[in-house]
Amino acid sequence: MTVTALPGAAGRSRRATLRRNFWRGVWRVLRRKPSRMAGVAICALFAVMGVAGPLLYPAHLPRDDDALYAPPSLSHPFGTDFEGTDVLALVVTGSRYVLLTGLATAVITVALGTAVGLFAGFRRGWQDTLLMRLTDLNLAIPGLPLLLVLSTVWKFESPLEMGLVLGLLGWGGIARAVRSQTLSLRERGFIEAARGLGLPTTHIIGRELLPSMAPYIAMNMLIAVTGAVYAQVGLFFLGVLPFEANNWGVMLNLAVFSGGALTTPAALPYLLAPLLAILLLTLGIVLVVDAMDEIFNPRLREE
Amino acid sequence: MKRLATFAALMAIVTATATACGGAAATDAGAEVDVYTTIDGTKQINASAPINPFNPVGSVFTGYNGMALAWARNHPTDPNRFYPALARSWTQSPDGAQVDIHLQPEARWSDGKPVTSEDVRVSIGLAYTQGGTAYALDPKAAGAAADVRVLDAKTIRVTQGANRSAAFLANLLSTVVVPAHVYGALLPRGFWDTLKVAQHDRGPAGERAKAVITGLADKVIAFSPEQDVSAGPFVLERVNPGAALLRRNPYFYNSRAIGPDKVKVLNYTGNEQIWNYLISGQLDNAPFTSVPAAVMERIRGARGSQVITGYSPVATSLAFNQSHKPYDNVHVRRALAYLIDREQVTRIAAPEGGTPAATTSGIHAKAARAWLGDGFAELEPYRLDPAKAAAELRAAGMKLRDGRWTMPDGSPWKVEIHVPASFSDWVSAAKSISSGLGDHGIDATVLTAADYSLYLSELAKGEYDLGFWLIGLGPSPYNIFQRLFGQANGWQMFGGRLTHVPPGTGGNWMGGPRTVEVAGEGLVDPGELTSRLNYVSPGEQRRIVGVLARIANEQLPAVQLWDYVNTQFVNTSRYTGFPPDDSEMLRLSSGVWMQLGMIRKRQP
Repeated sequence: MTVTALPGAAGRSRRATLRRNFWRGVWRVLRRKPSRMAGVAICALFAVMGVAGPLLYPAHLPRDDDALYAPPSLSHPFGTDFEGTDVLALVVTGSRYVLLTGLATAVITVALGTAVGLFAGFRRGWQDTLLMRLTDLNLAIPGLPLLLVLSTVWKFESPLEMGLVLGLLGWGGIARAVRSQTLSLRERGFIEAARGLGLPTTHIIGRELLPSMAPYIAMNMLIAVTGAVYAQVGLFFLGVLPFEANNWGVMLNLAVFSGGALTTPAALPYLLAPLLAILLLTLGIVLVVDAMDEIFNPRLREE
Repeated sequence: MKRLATFAALMAIVTATATACGGAAATDAGAEVDVYTTIDGTKQINASAPINPFNPVGSVFTGYNGMALAWARNHPTDPNRFYPALARSWTQSPDGAQVDIHLQPEARWSDGKPVTSEDVRVSIGLAYTQGGTAYALDPKAAGAAADVRVLDAKTIRVTQGANRSAAFLANLLSTVVVPAHVYGALLPRGFWDTLKVAQHDRGPAGERAKAVITGLADKVIAFSPEQDVSAGPFVLERVNPGAALLRRNPYFYNSRAIGPDKVKVLNYTGNEQIWNYLISGQLDNAPFTSVPAAVMERIRGARGSQVITGYSPVATSLAFNQSHKPYDNVHVRRALAYLIDREQVTRIAAPEGGTPAATTSGIHAKAARAWLGDGFAELEPYRLDPAKAAAELRAAGMKLRDGRWTMPDGSPWKVEIHVPASFSDWVSAAKSISSGLGDHGIDATVLTAADYSLYLSELAKGEYDLGFWLIGLGPSPYNIFQRLFGQANGWQMFGGRLTHVPPGTGGNWMGGPRTVEVAGEGLVDPGELTSRLNYVSPGEQRRIVGVLARIANEQLPAVQLWDYVNTQFVNTSRYTGFPPDDSEMLRLSSGVWMQLGMIRKRQP
């Protein structure tokens, strides 16, 4: 794990070779189990859905006034909603908000949690104490009740606002874990050596400690996406966030409370479509995390 | 032995289940009793709440163990029609100032003590601590009771103040009656003298007296009697978070009319629970509940299930904040009215509980026809008409660019429709309206408030451009029009004087003009006209209602969307004798139906 600066073209070539080998390794790990390929395909599908989905449909989704809560058919694979809009179109166009929120939450959670954990663990002393008390405070905040209160004053109209709040509420766990890892790693020989060489702190943290924790952080990032999806869909389901007909949580809310989906089968497809989307997204992420585990953890590699 | 024990346990479970399911036959100390199962549509059960009708969540259920002097009939135009309750009869002086109430001679509390005029007097005293139309401390307030006098043990006379109101009788007869021997101690010594000072003294002494009386409010609300003492047909036996059980009150003045031995009031946290109760046939009656069409089919399919419909003097509207642009322009409001397909909106939002509004008059269509006669048909119906809407928008100076309407200065126009998130029918309706507007080149969006109280508070602060608003709350014509030309639109009654406050203050969120030009009437102050409905003769009331309906129709402070239908659910498997469709009893609880001699056990 020592880092030796390689001069000029030779260094670049070595890095390119390492990169090539890494991606070959990734491909090998993915191919080993079909489930992992399925996970990647699912995540890619949702990524495409989030980016291009809304472009596939007109801004105002067409409605069929004579087909309210229509059953599934070829033209409407998941039936229609309370005003005759295709449920599949709602799920596809609504994916952007859900995924963007998930992504924003994950980035903020991981960035903040990692930064705090690394800094606290590496510095120790009063900075560590201060940051860990802050972390304890963050962990002690009851997320859902706070969000319910916040929703009375903040409308969360953009996914980034939603992601920011969820991220600010969720970094405590990662900070704690990263700090523990840092405390362990900083006593290892390669860190001692780096210190002995007089390398700057930013180098030690950024180039020595961080790469060692990258797998853990990356997996946490993916898991944070699912957590954020659940949290925001839950809030929309409770009806405390702004109404967007194609929001998955709003769809669940309307299917249950307006369509009686838990009482009669008429609105069941309207309920199942967003549920299935959430289930599929979670499954995709879990399968990819499984692959990542093996990619980053040499002990699990089945050469 | 083990098998027998298992069998006994199974039998116990079966018995418990039968009881929990609210069947007509249940066992009580070995004797079979008839249990009538229902829900209270006005509140959810709170097992820790006191047995106190002044407490909003108290375990007192109107018509069962909660009694008023009389029960209001569901009449479209006359708010003074009542069924007798603890008041057997009443007489009102020709000028409406004085009402003599004659109590039921046989009325007794569940502890055997007679119901007397003193009970009514104490109840009125307690009502003063809570405030209200008939019990306002300001003697200049319209329709406030100024004097309460006990004539004899069963007769009491109540006189209203100088500023009279046609609603006085109705408000007085709606008074909840509680036993003086239980609640009387809540009124401090000298209460009635303090009340006199509060009502008549305009100086500091009067203010101090008012503070003393209103300061009793919390004490009254928090009061928790050890046990229920009811003058109604039932008395509370026990209450838990799932249900309240009431047993028959043997001292009820018309006990022979009461069919069931017990009443079980089931708790609910949402409409879905009521749907499931109805589908499983657990409820003998459920009051109005919003029901999707598919769920309604399943409820209708339940054995013995019947749906009774009747008049409900309530309508839903989309109201404008006229202090916000461009809704200050009547042409914009009319354009939106022409673009709302009320048939479709009602079909989506309230397929079983509403009828599309025939037009905007501010009144439920049934009452409007009774009040306006032929005049109702002369109102502009605002049928879906995109061409007329476009003409109105052009008249307002709005511009059509690339198929989308913009503000007169070319800036984007987005219609923001606000609804409380918990009202699923309003949410669906708002979405349908926004979709319809989008089809015709108007960008529209739906914004939800987390709950109804937050919604009302934000609405009152003037934060919304458009919001859903209940109107037509009859039968009193004053109550109907004060929803459009009352406090929400700037008119306030202070000390008997009507004032108009600017938009954004004092709850004036509708922000309409103080006066409007009406053909044949000249410049009219709609709020002043509305306040006059309180005291003018019936003939003049009819004329004013006609003028106000025209103003509502022409000025459109709100677009009437649908009129509610009172959809009640009953199950005739165990009991019969429910009120028929369109009965004047339909807005009253099953307990009142029983008091009036209805609801009989089904004979095998």
